[in-house]
Amino acid sequence: MNTFVDALGFLRDNPALIWEKVVQHLQLAGAAIGVALVIAIPIGVILGHQHRGSFLAINAANIGRALPSLALISIGLGFLGVGFVNVMVAMVILAVPPLMTNAYVAVDQVDADAVEAARGMGMRPVQVLTKVELPLALPLIFAGIRTAVVYVIATGTLAAIAGGGGLGDIIFNQPSYHLSGVIAGSMVIATLAFTAEGIFAVLQRALTPRGIRGREPEVDAFIEPPVADVTRAETARV
Amino acid sequence: MIAALLALADEGPKIPDFGRGSDCVRENGQFCVDWVVKNFGDQLLPRLIEHIELTLIAVGIGFTIAFTAAVVAHRYRWVKTPFTAFSAFVYTIPSIALFQLLVPVTGLSWTSAEIALVGYTLLILFRNTLTGLQEVPDDAIEAAQGMGFTRQQILTRVELPLALPAIMAGVRIATVTTISLATIAAYIGAGGIGQPIFDGIQRGFRTQFVTAGVLAVALALAADGLLVLAQRALAPWMRARQATS
Amino acid sequence: MVMRRSAPRWIAVAMSFAVLAAACGGDNGGGGGGGGGGGGLPGEGKPTVTIGTKDFTEEFILGELYTQALQARGYTVDLKSNIGSTEIIDKALESGEIDGYPEYTGVAVAVSAGKDIIPKSAEETFNLAKEFYESRGQTVSEATPFFDVDAIAVTKETAQANSLSTVADLKKLGSFTLGARPEFKDRYQGFRGMQQVYGLTDAEFKQLAFGLQYQALDNGDIDAANVFSTDAQLASGKYTVLEDPKGVFGFQNVVFVIDQGKLDELGGDDFMNIINEVSALLTNDAMTAMNAAVDIDKQEPKDVAREFLQANGML
Repeated sequence: MNTFVDALGFLRDNPALIWEKVVQHLQLAGAAIGVALVIAIPIGVILGHQHRGSFLAINAANIGRALPSLALISIGLGFLGVGFVNVMVAMVILAVPPLMTNAYVAVDQVDADAVEAARGMGMRPVQVLTKVELPLALPLIFAGIRTAVVYVIATGTLAAIAGGGGLGDIIFNQPSYHLSGVIAGSMVIATLAFTAEGIFAVLQRALTPRGIRGREPEVDAFIEPPVADVTRAETARV
Repeated sequence: MIAALLALADEGPKIPDFGRGSDCVRENGQFCVDWVVKNFGDQLLPRLIEHIELTLIAVGIGFTIAFTAAVVAHRYRWVKTPFTAFSAFVYTIPSIALFQLLVPVTGLSWTSAEIALVGYTLLILFRNTLTGLQEVPDDAIEAAQGMGFTRQQILTRVELPLALPAIMAGVRIATVTTISLATIAAYIGAGGIGQPIFDGIQRGFRTQFVTAGVLAVALALAADGLLVLAQRALAPWMRARQATS
Repeated sequence: MVMRRSAPRWIAVAMSFAVLAAACGGDNGGGGGGGGGGGGLPGEGKPTVTIGTKDFTEEFILGELYTQALQARGYTVDLKSNIGSTEIIDKALESGEIDGYPEYTGVAVAVSAGKDIIPKSAEETFNLAKEFYESRGQTVSEATPFFDVDAIAVTKETAQANSLSTVADLKKLGSFTLGARPEFKDRYQGFRGMQQVYGLTDAEFKQLAFGLQYQALDNGDIDAANVFSTDAQLASGKYTVLEDPKGVFGFQNVVFVIDQGKLDELGGDDFMNIINEVSALLTNDAMTAMNAAVDIDKQEPKDVAREFLQANGML
């Protein structure tokens, strides 16, 4: 309990430091998610639309989930050197699988009747995709984005090992910042992760077409998990 | 001793030739095969084995706790919320922080790491087991009741087998997650394949940390693959269901 | 049964105790050092001593040197390498998790004792360190001839382009990044002192694991790096080490600090003489050569230490 109070004291006494690290951390996370989105969503959506490549999409999630983040960063460190880029590449690799798999499953499993109806009305494939499939797939795609965002924020802690900065600089520097700093830094990361998750949950609800609100995916547990159903907590694993 | 001091006064200690590293190693290449081959047996392999031990023990203990809690929660609904809240709370703590928090309590050791690793498995294992049990179709339970099964028998002969896929999926995710977290546990002296990663980074020795990283990835993927096979083997009837989905 | 990671080590220790107990009552060996004759070795019958080391090459080598020399004289040693930075290993010493470890005199004064001062000589530093440790119930060995100070290095190109020869010259760069190990940031004999004493207010601290700084310098990720003066990489000629005219980084010879009570159990002088014998051999040339063998040729500290001790008749 004492250390907890000390941690709060640390936050109060070092606002500039915390702010600087938070900004660094979010820059890294943001860049990684941005790049991952650009790579993963189009591929997932197109494959889902064409109902092809399910093996790739599903297994990408499984493999991605298995990759130890520290190992990826260390391999990246060997080939890409110290700093922002190396860590960002590792984080992109970790973020792509949940994004891609969710995008794939989301579009692939859009209600077949709705798609048929659209075709029956004479829509071209592109229109079917943009006017029917994407809107209906949006909730699940967003679930994937939520997962990836939380994951990337948590993994960003390790960036400090490779000179990438961020809140890890505090957490890995007990000599300078003491246990109070380490706890304070951890509290900030947890808060960041929860906040991000909350923001995306709100976004998800806002962007879900009104017609299908209330039929959102059950984000609770999983049998053979497409990462779609992964809980938020499961991904906070670093 | 006097002799040594006299010799020292004359010309300093004798500095032997320690042997030149290969060119690859001297240039700090990313993956010097000669170093890997030479040192795999006494540096990398023992760490891998330690890592597997760390993981198996953590998942084993975690499973025992979580499984028991889930079975209890299945019967006594009120258990679910507090246990979930507790395990989710632990889960949210960044692993580095939890490891460092435990050091003053249980030292720079294997024990601290295991406590944390066990903690991290609880949420997934608990959730999956409980959900698996709860999603057993009512028909199956009713049929069993109709056949006169006791509560105990329903649990062991109907609910658990039908919950197996969910439970196995949980074990799989927990194992893979633990392998990943255990790499970080090396930071507090728990050993494992994370040790050569941290050591290598500390020494700037690329081959060491790259190779260790590759081994960690290989271990994780191998474990995942094995558990998928185990999952399929233990619940063959799920395969048919998946094939149609 | 669950096999703990350290099971083999515990078994070895237990067995050696059993053997020693069986041979109980036997002679405790003659006085320290020197020839072993046929009599018992100084270490026989003594409890196990736990030695720790910090988290970089030179310390790994020192740990192995002392450990192997002691083992050759019959002591049972539990070597815990890579415990962490000074702040962390000092706590381990105080808590009894380790009995002793090799420490740098300047660091002992500045970090462990927490004194923000600049001693004027190696002698003074040694005395301050000794005083400090004795006040805590610990004691130190004699100091090594070699010293290893923190230093700031830049690439040769950077030094030439900006005419940098001392740490104070870094002011010419305006704002610059210094890459350093985490604990360097808050130390008086580190970044904090640099800023205060040399007025380097425009410096940005970039935290890096210690092995990465040369890589980062080469790639231009950082402008200057915190290095150790005995680093093997400095011999390559690619880097310029900046001078420290105000002595911020202090005097840093190595002493072996150990709990006084434990030292008495280990036979007092019997034990310390061995340590001092090893320390006397450690000149700057010797240490730099051993560092090079580990850092450049990637030999293992254990092997390098053994070869050195053998060459000097201590094994």
